[in-house]
Amino acid sequence: MEGITKFFAASGVLANDAVDLVVEEGEIHAVIGENGAGKSTLMKLLYGLEHADAGEITFRGEKVAIKDPFVANRLGIGMVHQHFKLVSDFTVAENVVLGSEPRARGPFIDRRSAVRDVSKVIEEHGFSVDAKRKVQDLTVGQMQQVEIVKMLYRNAELLILDEPTSVLTEQEIESLFNTLKNLLGRGKTIILITHKLEEVMQMSDRVTVMRDGKVVAVRDTKDVDKRELSRLMVGRDILLEVDRKPPTYGDPVLELKDVTIRCRGQGRPLLDRISFQVRSGELVGIAGVGGNGLAEIEDVIGGLRRATSGRIFLHGEDVTALGPEPLREVGLAYVPADRLRRGASLPTTVRENCIVTKHHDFLRTGILQKRGIRAFTERLIEHFSIDAVEGMPAGNLSGGNIQKMILARELAAETDFILFSEPTWGLDIASSQFVYEKMLELRQRGAGVLLISSNLDEILGLADTVLIMYRGRIVGRLENTESLSKEIIGEYMLGLRDDSQSPSAVASAEGSRG
Amino acid sequence: MSNTSFPIPMLHSTIRIMAPFLLAAIGGLFTELAGMLNIALEGLMLIGAFFSVIFAAATGSLFLGIALGIVASVLAAYIFGFISLHLRANIFITGLATNVFAEGLTMVLAFQIFGNKGVIRFANLPRLPVLSNPSLQRIPVLGDILVGHNILVYVSWLMVVLASIVIYKTAFGLRVRGTGSNPGAVEATGLSPRRYRMYAILISGFTCGLAGAILSLQLGAYVPGVTAGRGWIALVAIYLGNKTPLGILIACIVFGFAESLSNYAQGVIDVPADFILAFPYIITVVAMIAYSMIRHYRLRGSER
Ligand SMILES: Nc1ncnc2c1ncn2[C@@H]1O[C@H](COP(=O)(O)OP(=O)(O)OP(=O)(O)O)[C@@H](O)[C@H]1O
Ligand SMILES: [Mg+2]
Repeated sequence: MEGITKFFAASGVLANDAVDLVVEEGEIHAVIGENGAGKSTLMKLLYGLEHADAGEITFRGEKVAIKDPFVANRLGIGMVHQHFKLVSDFTVAENVVLGSEPRARGPFIDRRSAVRDVSKVIEEHGFSVDAKRKVQDLTVGQMQQVEIVKMLYRNAELLILDEPTSVLTEQEIESLFNTLKNLLGRGKTIILITHKLEEVMQMSDRVTVMRDGKVVAVRDTKDVDKRELSRLMVGRDILLEVDRKPPTYGDPVLELKDVTIRCRGQGRPLLDRISFQVRSGELVGIAGVGGNGLAEIEDVIGGLRRATSGRIFLHGEDVTALGPEPLREVGLAYVPADRLRRGASLPTTVRENCIVTKHHDFLRTGILQKRGIRAFTERLIEHFSIDAVEGMPAGNLSGGNIQKMILARELAAETDFILFSEPTWGLDIASSQFVYEKMLELRQRGAGVLLISSNLDEILGLADTVLIMYRGRIVGRLENTESLSKEIIGEYMLGLRDDSQSPSAVASAEGSRG
Repeated sequence: MSNTSFPIPMLHSTIRIMAPFLLAAIGGLFTELAGMLNIALEGLMLIGAFFSVIFAAATGSLFLGIALGIVASVLAAYIFGFISLHLRANIFITGLATNVFAEGLTMVLAFQIFGNKGVIRFANLPRLPVLSNPSLQRIPVLGDILVGHNILVYVSWLMVVLASIVIYKTAFGLRVRGTGSNPGAVEATGLSPRRYRMYAILISGFTCGLAGAILSLQLGAYVPGVTAGRGWIALVAIYLGNKTPLGILIACIVFGFAESLSNYAQGVIDVPADFILAFPYIITVVAMIAYSMIRHYRLRGSER
């Protein structure tokens, strides 16, 4: 790719400014840069989803015009998007073949060979999904496998992966990387976008660094270190470090008592008698492998799902039966993991997204005060350094900036309790650092903070108390001391350790905090 | 009318009455699956009703009448689709505009051509052929109910079958459904969601044109506003039918029966006529409430 330029008139952003990107056959090429640097845009241009204002693309020695993803597919270019593009009520096989369906006769789909061909690709690469399952029943990691299968089914030779690891747990990342190495062995070429520098070091052969729509450096990975990369990316040194002061606990702000969720037709409850407290001035971290109840805890506290039995108290008030809106009135701030569907409304403006939870404050005699809203939104944009204009649709923001907008809104609510679920998925290092500092600041101020995260570094770096979920139960309650390590948490996460069975362990864990 | 034979003719007319509902709803199913709320069914039907009877009378050919009625309705659907999809107007507003436009257009044209704002009768209008087969008719009960309708009734059944096949068995159907669930996913495979939305709108134009043709050709006359809200009820049938062809068929049987019942009840039961005429609409409201209650019950315990 040479001299690629893309201007978005709607936001007035020059997303790509005369970008050159050279990817050699058979390499893993990492593309890094801060949120909004223009990485996704560049990849969409290569995949034919956006069209460049200037520049040319040469593929295997030939100049090509990629007008749509069909052309890209035919050339052998495939892409896994930052935000998956799957039809959730279709099966895996249907999703994979969509657009290039095997035909029985004329317009009729040959379902049997669709399932067979897709299963073959799945098996060949050691994936674990079932071609006949509906996508909505899959875990995030499996959805990503479907996206990869989609590329391979179309015989892609150049695979673009836009932030594939942001939403995965450590185990899933490991298995993804094995897959990628495997694909490399079969002669494929891979472009990998990520915010995690150790992944760049571990996986890539070369790395292109972008900043503000421009390429600022291209390096052989073996010639650089993380420090230099981050300096190239941000223009200054940053290190992901937080200074966690010793906690001082107050009264409980959130309390769950024996919260259980059962689903009809399923033997094991999704949540099994979950009880814990978050006290004022305490940061509780919940860890676990996907599918073990983390999502359900998020839902039940966020008011999106009702507990089958058990009680939830917020500020001493029984909120078990409350939905999201009344919960917010009681004083809940909530940053959901599913930012696109729960956290934001993509077609509406940034401004409206920023005030949805507190639009009452901007009402005067029943009418929203536009000037106040503007000023408020601009303050958030400025303070959280969001790459956005207040009047543009939230859907036009870069992935990381959508999340920053949500975080800004929830943090600005200044409640005494806040729930974060996977807050730094898709954030660059500087933004993650900023969010960590904010979380600790809240805790210091005496708020109760609950952090649900599949990132163990995050949990270990921030939490005062660590809860570990396994198969719907809390199997470990640990104080975050020097002696606690990722390995210990990992053993709980995999079910190798379980304190919940021996009553003395529970008693001592609770006693020590009582 | 003796009391014992009472249900049979009522069921017979249920079958006749439900055909336009069924056709409009099947077309609307395609737009619904493609992710659009198509409120223009009513207007498209009205256009089909008007032009089919006009052309049938003018040409003396039933086939040409129906065909041109459909052409008119598909054309209107195309304009509706073009403005909604290409000019990106709000589809609810353009749908509303289509309905208003259809009403105005038929009224003005009728007045221009016939100098009459009321019912227009055509003396030499060919009648819709009726399927009568003595041996089939001899089947007890079913024969009396299902045989002896005009051919378009049978065409409407055929459309249900055809729609099921297209929706569930073909690549086209898969793409239309994908467009409705996640247009981004369809776009990422290189297909144009907008194109599939347009196809769906054109299909709804086709079936609504046919639905309108049944209404007016059955009467052998053009009655202003002959659709009388049937397009809206068809829309309800799509939801009650849980967005499946079979479900729609069942919902349409219920609506057809309600209307048939109200026709027969007039003069038989001692209830104000207005109430009886409102019966199908009451059924609609009750059905909607029941539907949402069932949904609510089903969703309890899982996500709210
Ligand atoms: N469709 C669009 N309309 C207007 N502006 C856009 C559009 N898409 C992207 N932009 C802008 O272009 C810039 C680059 O966005 P891009 O998505 O390429 O960033 P990114 O490097 O992928 O960031 P992230 O790490 O957050 O995903 C952003 O400022 C974004 O707001
Ligand atoms: Mg991006």
